[in-house]
Amino acid sequence: MKFNLARLRPLLTGSVVVTILAVTGLVVRPLEAPAWDWVRARQPALKLDSIQGALGQGLTVGLLGGFRAIVADFFWIQTHSVWEDRDLPATQTFIKLVTAIDPRPLFFWINGSRMIAYDMPNWRIVDSGGYNAVPQAKQRLIDEEQATIALNYLKEAFNYHPDSALLHVEVANIYLNRLKDKTNAAEAYRRAALLPNGPFYAGRIYAELLRKLGRKQEAYDWLKQTYTKLPKSVNRSLGISEFTVDSAMAPVVLERIRELEEELNLAEEKRFVP
Amino acid sequence: MSTAKRSVPFSLSRLGIVAGNTFLEAVRQKLFNFLLLLAVALVASAQLFREFNFGSSELKFIADFGFGAMVFFGSILTIAATAQLFFSEIENRTALTLLAKPIWRTEFIFGKLLGVFAVVGVFCALTTGLLLALIYNRETALIEAHPEAFEAGRLIHYGDLLMMGVLQWLKFGVLAAITLLVASFSNTNLFTVVMGFFMLVICHLQYLARDAYSHVTALPLRLLVQGLGYVFPNFQVFNLADQIGIGQGIDPMVFVRVGGYALTYIAVFGALAVYSFSQREI
Repeated sequence: MKFNLARLRPLLTGSVVVTILAVTGLVVRPLEAPAWDWVRARQPALKLDSIQGALGQGLTVGLLGGFRAIVADFFWIQTHSVWEDRDLPATQTFIKLVTAIDPRPLFFWINGSRMIAYDMPNWRIVDSGGYNAVPQAKQRLIDEEQATIALNYLKEAFNYHPDSALLHVEVANIYLNRLKDKTNAAEAYRRAALLPNGPFYAGRIYAELLRKLGRKQEAYDWLKQTYTKLPKSVNRSLGISEFTVDSAMAPVVLERIRELEEELNLAEEKRFVP
Repeated sequence: MSTAKRSVPFSLSRLGIVAGNTFLEAVRQKLFNFLLLLAVALVASAQLFREFNFGSSELKFIADFGFGAMVFFGSILTIAATAQLFFSEIENRTALTLLAKPIWRTEFIFGKLLGVFAVVGVFCALTTGLLLALIYNRETALIEAHPEAFEAGRLIHYGDLLMMGVLQWLKFGVLAAITLLVASFSNTNLFTVVMGFFMLVICHLQYLARDAYSHVTALPLRLLVQGLGYVFPNFQVFNLADQIGIGQGIDPMVFVRVGGYALTYIAVFGALAVYSFSQREI
C-alpha cells in the first residue's frame, strides 16, 4: 500500500497553527497578566474558588456582560410572582438563579435570604396545618432548617461582597431572630461594626447582646472604645452630616456606658471620662 | 497563486479595495442593519428599563445595559458577518475569479478582515456614541434635580466609556480574525458560525482551565492545560465595564495593555488564516 503524504497536510497545518498560537500566548503574557490581575481584582465573580460557580459566572459575565443586570432583574420580578403564590421550591430556585446571573447587587442577596429565613418557615408551618396544629418542636426544627439554608446562601454572598457590613448584619439578624442564638449574633454584629462601612447600630446591638450574655465587662470596654470614635458634631469638611451624627447616637452610647458602670459597681475614679 | 505572488508585489491598495468592497457588501446586508437597529433600540431603551433596576445606581445600570447590548449583538454580528462575507465569495465563485487575478491571498484575507473590522467599528461607534449621549443627558438631569449628590462633580468618567467602546471593538476584531481562521479551512458557513460561537465561549472560559489545573500535581496534564491556556486568547480581560461609574475608573495602562494584546492577536490570527487559506483548494 502506498502512503500518501498529502493526507497529512491538514494535520501539519493544524499543528503549525496550534504551535504558533501557543507561542503567541507566551509572548503576549507580559501584556495580558498585569491587565488580567487588574480586571480580576475588581470582579469577585471572576475569582471564585468553586469551578461550578466560576463556570456560570464566566459565561454570564462574558456573554451577557452588563445585560445580566436586566436579565437578573426580570427574574427577580418572577421571583416576587412565585413568592406571592407561596410556591416554596420555585421561589428558592429563582432566588438562586437571580444571584447566579448577577451576584453584584446586595439587594438580591439580602432580600433572598429574608424570604428563605422569615417567609418560608411560615409557609411550611401553614402547609403542615397551621401554628396551632404543628408542635412547637417541629416549628423550631423548620425555623432552624430554613435559617441554615439562608445562612449558607449568605455565606455564598461573601464570595462576591467580602467587605459588606450589611451582609454581616443580615447574618446576625437571622441568628438572633430565627435561631435565638445570641452568641453567634453578637459575633456577626461585631464583624459588621468593625468594617469601614459598618452601621453604628451594629456596634450598639453587639454591646447589648454582650450585656444580655452576661459579658458586661466586654460590653463596657467595647462601648468605651466605640464612644471615642463616634462623630459628635456636624463637620462638613470631614463629610460628617447631621444624619451621621444622629445615626451615631453618641449620647445613647454614653448613657449605656453609665448604666454598665452602675451594674459593674465601678469606683468613681475608674469610670469613663468622655 | 504562486504565479501572482511572483508577478506582482504585495499591495496595500488592493487590500484596501477588498476591504472597501467587504464593508459595502456588509452594510448592504439585512443582518447588519437588523442587528444595528436592535442594538441601538436596546441601548436607547435603557432609560425605560432603568425602572426595573433593583441593584446598582441608575447611571451604572444604563452603562451596564448599553454595553450588554453592544457585547451581545456585536458578538453575533461579528461571527455571522465574517462567515457570511467569506462564504458568499466561495459559494458565488467570485473568489475563483478574484484569485485568478494577480492578487495575493494575504490581500484577500486581510481585506476581508479589515472590512469586517470596519463594519463592527461602525457598530461600536454608533452604540457607544448613543450610550454616551444617553448617560450624559441623564446625569445632567440628575445633577439639576439633586445637586447635593454631585458636589464632587460628575460620577461617570466619560473617557472610560470611550475606552470600553474601543476595547469592545478590538475584541470583536480578534473574534472576526478567529472566525476567519475557522472559515479558511471550513467547508460550510454553518460550521464556521457554530465554531465561532464555540471559540467565543472557550475564550471566555479559558482562564478557568488555567486556574483549575495550575495546582495539579501530574506534570504532563498541567503542561497540557497550560499549553491550551496559551493557545486561546483570554476574552475576560476585555471586561472592564464593571468599573464604569464606580471607584477610580479604568486604569489607562490596563487599556493600553489590553489594546496591544488584542492587536497582536488580530495580526496573528489573520496571518494564520492566510496560511491556512493558502493550503486550501478552491
